[in-house]
Amino acid sequence: MSGPVRSAARSPSRRRPGGLHEDAAATLIGLAIVAMALAATWTAQPAEDAGSRAAHPKGWRSPLATTIERPQSWADSPLESMRDKKGRGVAAAVLMGMGWVVAVAAAGTALGGRSAVRELPGQLAIAALTCAAWVLSAQKVIHHYNLEYPLWALSVGLLVGNVLGVPRWLARSLSGEFLIKTGLVIFGAEVLFSRLLELGLPGVMTSWLVTPVVLVATYWAGVKLLRIPSRSLCMVISADLSVCGVSAAIATGAACRAKKEELSLAIGLSLFFTVIMMVAMPPAIRWLGLDPIVGAAWLGGTIDATGAVVAAGEALGKEAGEVAATVKMIQNSMIGVIAFAVAVYWAGWVERDAGGPRTSLVAEAWRRFPKFILGFLAASIVCSWIFSRSPEAALWVDGTITGFTSRLRGWLFCAGFVCMGLQTNFRELAPVLSRGRPLLLYVGGQLLNLALTLAMASLTFGWLFKKAVEP
Amino acid sequence: MSEPRPRRLAIATLAVVAIWGGLLPALLRSGPVARHVAAMEERGIDPAAMYYTELDRLPARPAWIERRLTLWP
Repeated sequence: MSGPVRSAARSPSRRRPGGLHEDAAATLIGLAIVAMALAATWTAQPAEDAGSRAAHPKGWRSPLATTIERPQSWADSPLESMRDKKGRGVAAAVLMGMGWVVAVAAAGTALGGRSAVRELPGQLAIAALTCAAWVLSAQKVIHHYNLEYPLWALSVGLLVGNVLGVPRWLARSLSGEFLIKTGLVIFGAEVLFSRLLELGLPGVMTSWLVTPVVLVATYWAGVKLLRIPSRSLCMVISADLSVCGVSAAIATGAACRAKKEELSLAIGLSLFFTVIMMVAMPPAIRWLGLDPIVGAAWLGGTIDATGAVVAAGEALGKEAGEVAATVKMIQNSMIGVIAFAVAVYWAGWVERDAGGPRTSLVAEAWRRFPKFILGFLAASIVCSWIFSRSPEAALWVDGTITGFTSRLRGWLFCAGFVCMGLQTNFRELAPVLSRGRPLLLYVGGQLLNLALTLAMASLTFGWLFKKAVEP
Repeated sequence: MSEPRPRRLAIATLAVVAIWGGLLPALLRSGPVARHVAAMEERGIDPAAMYYTELDRLPARPAWIERRLTLWP
């Protein structure tokens, strides 16, 4: 492999002597948060029907749920974002959400051996900008057309950084990579291997056979056919279109150390095409006369974002909506395996320095391996194991995730993207566009994804298991 | 960018206020957009969910999965 050799420390380490490495700090803090959240939910175990999904559709209620919330969707005035659908005020929980961001950033600063007090003003400003990005993304038109918060977090950061500039007190607090890595470790708790078999063999065949083929073929086409200079850009685009959009782009981007401009471009492409596919695919399925279940599996396997999959699937009917969402959920669960495989491939082959000292492949790979991925996998394995123990345990994990870790992960990702936007100059975005080749790569990869997923969905849901899926 | 900083700030602020305070609320009242938003709200769908754990309802296991899956129709 003769790709460009990249330094493992692309972004300079902010660690001081005696401080922990950023990956170690992210892993430690992320796992501690998952453990704390599980313990908190355990204390709130319901006295009755603890194992009943009907009684607790989103799992046991976590006591930490009241400590974090994001601004709610609004129509005419941003002030509406401080009330939920039932009219209850969420301003205090939003403020506490900002507090969690500051607390995690401060813990990272302290573990890195730097002064948490000195960086506090900058961290407070980042938390405030994160809240502003949430509010912009919660406007109903934006919200219901799936233009997700990373886009607005990046835009807020870019706008502030390029219009006002970044003062020194703010610049020293920018810890985008650390926040995203910590968010990813916490995200591991949501990647439940036990969910993989929810749709049985047809679901596994549709998700697990097509996804890796599309990922590898798109990456190969980007590197060899389109000759895009950056391998990490090819990988992030391939993962985001073949697995599950923004979340896959974030996980693989961290695993292959993609530049912030590359991640921003991949996310922009994903969101743009998700809106088009969400609106265009259901009428196209009806026009083609496809069976709604086959069409739903096709939607689940191809549209990048989970929310957009559900929106498009429900347009074909209730059961189609369930099938589409479940196929997507199985694909979602592949993130852990794919991020790990990408990290190993990158550390062992892409970044391997041919002219460097001769060391064993394993030692070299381990030296370059992004260690926080191990924290991500550990959270995933532990939560998957707990989830599979009993119906009660499954509701315990679900309650922990939906009530707290998923919300905190969203805040940390959002803050991470704000930092990335603040650190990016508009001029740096131009070279990444590489004369439109990333767009070509996305479109080509998505067309392959559409063709292969349709073939596999027709084979599994429309033929091999047709009797089983008939209502 | 050659404009002075206060001017850039004024332009950016105006653009944000015009888009989020005027254009988007107006779009929300236009036919196709209003219909799409109403349909999503009526069915309790959150299209902005990035991951399945962010959905208002976790995906339900379809009834047919409980049946024995037999190869070939």
